[in-house]
Amino acid sequence: MNTPPLTEELVLDTLRQVIDPEIGFNIVDLGLVYDVRIDNGFVKVLMTLTTPGCPMHDSICEGARHVLLGLEQVNDVDVQLVWDPPWNPSMMTERARQALGVTNF
Amino acid sequence: MEASLPISAGAERTVARPAAAPASLATPAASVSLPLRFMMTGLLALMAGVIWLTVQPTVLSLYHYHQNVIAVTHLFVLGWITTVVMGAMYQLVPVALETKLYSERLAKWQFVLHVIGFAGMVWMFREWNMKQVGHFGSVLAFGVLLFIYNIVRTLLRVPRWTVVAGAVSAALAWIGLTVVLGLLMATLKTGLETETTSHSAVVAFMQRLRAAANTLSHFGAISTMHAHAHLGVVGFFTMLIVGVSYKLVPMFTLSEVQSRRRAALSIVLLNLGLAGAAGTILKNSPWRIAFGGVLVAALAVFGWEIRAILRARKRRALDWGLRHFLTALAMLIPTSVLGVILAWPGLPLTQRTGQLENVYGYLGIVGFVSLAIIGMLYKIIPFLVWFGTYSRHIGRARVPALADMYSPRLQVWSYWTFLSGLLVTSLATFWASNAMIRAGGALVLCSVFLFAVNVGLILRHYFRPQLAPLAAPKTVQKAVT
Repeated sequence: MNTPPLTEELVLDTLRQVIDPEIGFNIVDLGLVYDVRIDNGFVKVLMTLTTPGCPMHDSICEGARHVLLGLEQVNDVDVQLVWDPPWNPSMMTERARQALGVTNF
Repeated sequence: MEASLPISAGAERTVARPAAAPASLATPAASVSLPLRFMMTGLLALMAGVIWLTVQPTVLSLYHYHQNVIAVTHLFVLGWITTVVMGAMYQLVPVALETKLYSERLAKWQFVLHVIGFAGMVWMFREWNMKQVGHFGSVLAFGVLLFIYNIVRTLLRVPRWTVVAGAVSAALAWIGLTVVLGLLMATLKTGLETETTSHSAVVAFMQRLRAAANTLSHFGAISTMHAHAHLGVVGFFTMLIVGVSYKLVPMFTLSEVQSRRRAALSIVLLNLGLAGAAGTILKNSPWRIAFGGVLVAALAVFGWEIRAILRARKRRALDWGLRHFLTALAMLIPTSVLGVILAWPGLPLTQRTGQLENVYGYLGIVGFVSLAIIGMLYKIIPFLVWFGTYSRHIGRARVPALADMYSPRLQVWSYWTFLSGLLVTSLATFWASNAMIRAGGALVLCSVFLFAVNVGLILRHYFRPQLAPLAAPKTVQKAVT
């Protein structure tokens, strides 16, 4: 089996398996993932949540960390949660906007 | 690390100055089982209350100064609404205000005191044993004291003061006053019996209580009961619903509060209007119409802001939980109209007026507050069960979204049967028709039953989690093929 190289695309695809349960869509297409840095098997993810103080905060961050650790090429993961800039719906992908009926920009 | 935000999407990219989440936000909510036990108890009380209304329709067709009416009303307001609201507050206040609950242990003790207190009160109201109402009421009041203390200590941790925090604080003051007034009413009705104890502290406390209760004897018993009811329903329930709406409606519709000044004004007016209305109702003063007008103004400002929030929403489709909630808010319109009519100076006190008062109370407690709570429970219960069952599985397995945990079809049926039942019961109450009240009660009972089935479907996830393996990312799939 070919092991694909550890790229940003692979990391984002993997993170798409983590959903925000309230909205029912994955964190990448919701625009919650602000940045991904890869350094020799070490992945650093900068992300936010839709609402400050969201009690799912721990679960979603831990889920993102765990799903990436499931990749063979990943040695360690650091997920950092940030609130600035605050998330807004314009950060969603077209796919998420259509699926969730988000308009009014 | 510097971010270019968000990397996945979007039209708008703003300058990124990532600020890490403060540690205090890590686990703001209470444990799952604590609010759930409040909510399940409340749901049982709701079912008991609706069955009671259906089996004994005279509680709505007779004037409400009657032991059965007072008993069933306390089953609704204490057993159902207050129980759920307290459970929800232990969960939502820390979330809405971005802080942590002060003490979960106090909340557990309060639950025990609350259940003993309200169950005993309902039972003793039915028996019309006011002395025992006073005893059970004291147990409940001690629980309320613990509740207020716990939430006040939680509020002291709030990093920044908001309109929501203001509304929660005001609601705590009003529920405290409601309980005190209720206890004084019970004390007054027990008469001035001699103490059965010689303990000096107890005797002194009882004497003070009686002295305070005696001041109530200057007011009419029905006026005092009406003031007590308004303090609880407007001061605690309505204040909280209005306050948390400013957090929850934007959160669930992907919108924002459009005018903080307007939001604050609605809370200020609600407090001023209630203070004046409670005083003038107590004194049976014609000025109650003026303060009723202030309350209506507060609700109008609130409605204006909610309309603005909804117009600015990014998520066009409204889910049915939110529709329940917004429909409940719309119920404030007929309830307010009735309130103004009933506050009108010189309104003749006929049998029809008494029936109109029953409709007013029914619409306020069942049409507005209960429907709003059912709507919010469609958000809160799935969240609690999901959090307890699936949170540790994120990233390890495919987990359901909150909306996948119950049947939307049952939810829609429940919504329409509730509204049909509400309409039939309200009209039947006005006409004092027992047969129609029973029919309307049966419809509301059907609705509550469907809601309970949906709650059962949600709870099933506790015992039988629905997990599926994660699919391989597309990039990996491509590499394999």
